[in-house]
Amino acid sequence: MTGEPLLSVQDLVVRFDTPQGEVHAVNGVSLDVGAGETVGLVGESGSGKSVTSLAVMGLLPAPAGRVASGRIAFDGNDLIGLPERDLRKLRGKDVSMVFQDPMSSLNPVITIGEQVTEILRAHEQVSKADARTRAADLLRRVGIPNAAEQLGRFPHQFSGGMRQRVMIAMALALHPRLLIADEPTTALDVTIQAQVLELLVALTTDLETALLLISHDLGIMARVARRIAVMYAGFVMETAPTTELFAAPRHPYTVGLLNSVPAIDDRGKELRPIEGAPPDLEEAPVGCPFAPRCAWRVEACWTTMPPLRPVSAGPDASGVDHSAACHNPVRADEVRGAAPLRPGFVPAPPPSAPASATTEAPA
Amino acid sequence: MMEEAAVSAAAAPPKAASGLRGVWAFVRASWLNALAVTIVTIVVLLAVFGPFLLGSKGNTADFANILQGPSASHWMGTDNVGRDLFARVVAGARISLTSAAVIVLLAAPFGCLLGILAGMVGGWVDEVLMRFTDLFFAFPAFVLAAAIAATLGPSLQHTILAVAIVYWPWYARLARSQVLTLREREFVLAARVSGSSTTGIVARHMVRNVLPIVAIQMSADAGNAILSISALSFLGLGAQPPTPEWGTMMAGAQDYLQTAWWFLTFPGLTLTFTVLGFNLLGDGLRDWIDPRLRGVLRGGRV
Repeated sequence: MTGEPLLSVQDLVVRFDTPQGEVHAVNGVSLDVGAGETVGLVGESGSGKSVTSLAVMGLLPAPAGRVASGRIAFDGNDLIGLPERDLRKLRGKDVSMVFQDPMSSLNPVITIGEQVTEILRAHEQVSKADARTRAADLLRRVGIPNAAEQLGRFPHQFSGGMRQRVMIAMALALHPRLLIADEPTTALDVTIQAQVLELLVALTTDLETALLLISHDLGIMARVARRIAVMYAGFVMETAPTTELFAAPRHPYTVGLLNSVPAIDDRGKELRPIEGAPPDLEEAPVGCPFAPRCAWRVEACWTTMPPLRPVSAGPDASGVDHSAACHNPVRADEVRGAAPLRPGFVPAPPPSAPASATTEAPA
Repeated sequence: MMEEAAVSAAAAPPKAASGLRGVWAFVRASWLNALAVTIVTIVVLLAVFGPFLLGSKGNTADFANILQGPSASHWMGTDNVGRDLFARVVAGARISLTSAAVIVLLAAPFGCLLGILAGMVGGWVDEVLMRFTDLFFAFPAFVLAAAIAATLGPSLQHTILAVAIVYWPWYARLARSQVLTLREREFVLAARVSGSSTTGIVARHMVRNVLPIVAIQMSADAGNAILSISALSFLGLGAQPPTPEWGTMMAGAQDYLQTAWWFLTFPGLTLTFTVLGFNLLGDGLRDWIDPRLRGVLRGGRV
């Protein structure tokens, strides 16, 4: 990749201190988002997607959440340890965010107009009249009819889709260079989801805003993202260009994820869910967190988490490479059956005494 | 749940029911609401306009008409020096309402400020502030107010101050509990993401959500404040004779209970109805805005 990406997250580790002990929310996330690029971050609940995005915004819930190690750089500037004042200037102006539930992201007792102007007034000296004019323009841009009249209304007078449009209008008000959309369509009706997604993509393309789209919905990812990172239990397991990820996944977890999505031409066939459950995040990760559920596991999986490393022959045409954090990547012919097709291969049994397990030096 | 209630309270009828139409909707919701609005309106009107109409009647002694019973010329009779009781009761309404207003306007902003501060900052600031308010809750409020008033010396102003001092911790607790639930709400996170400062978030999001609940508490407290002032005055700690304060008047009327029933009865009834009116108003507002608030806000308290 040429030059520094717009957002660069390297080996991010986030911990939460709770009365029950330390929660290992993010265990090592590396992620790049280039200027104007659309990147998808996919994973199930609790995989650390949202925590990663909050860490980028510098908004981990204090005092429980903290970045234990790693680096987050925006436009080449280190964000971790930046004073709150500087972070505040960045938020909304350079990096913005849209949340899952537009009802709870809007204050029920404040008019739409005032909430949209809030972001303008947080960053610029604008008169009330100017702010209102601009707010109306913003609402018009996200397709809200009679925008000027809507400014005086309250969130409960809007439908879910309209509220999410308002949130998008606010997030893009100052033409940020990066927009993080955390499950932006999950709380909406299916019929509205596509509209809101189209809008999000159209506007970010228009403004040349990079989009980090967080979702558990692979269908959305397939349509929107150019590149996808797959998260599991606080790790990025695999990252690849969208088409390649769907066509030739290399990580067993990605394979499992793709196989658990119902497809229209698989009608009548059984879905293949991933056996087992995600690990308890209160326990420190030892080895690969997916190992207990994995059919491809080898002995090393129980002791060492491999780093992300290139798995395809080289960078594809668009210049984004395909990497996976796996000791024993899935072969192309094994994807469909979701099982290793190697004569005599047996998933490595868990080490009998974990304490005596020889710890392999990280590669 | 309490957390939910707080926010939906604010969410319920925000601007749709404003002004007179809102009052009308409130009155129609229950006959108790109608009674509350009627009583409070009458008392307020009397307090504002009464003294203008009645002039100095309540302060003029008339020794030819001592302890006269209720009649056309003296609706509530006269007192032991021949002053018109109705004029004095009306003048007392102004004193009571002003005192109550000053008390809640001192206690509510001060309490809310400390409560919001405790809730937002958290940690040891929260701990220190809340333990400080606990000190106040450890004493019976009225006894504490009496002790403060007695220490400061008997006067109406000192009594007002004393009552305000025992009332503010309630507001601190109320505001803090609201802030604690509000700060976890997503719109606060959304505001932070937009680059809003903490002070901006407090001013825009916290205060606006806490305000309706505090306003209800203030209306309920107005009744309690009137009662507290009268009680302290009755004990001789508050307004001093010849001030036409209801409690002070009743204290003076004690000796005449056998001979002139009206002397004590009318100030007492007026006080009772006024306090009842404000308490009903507070309860009614609370139930009207959100019945689930019943546990969050307290009702009548002395």
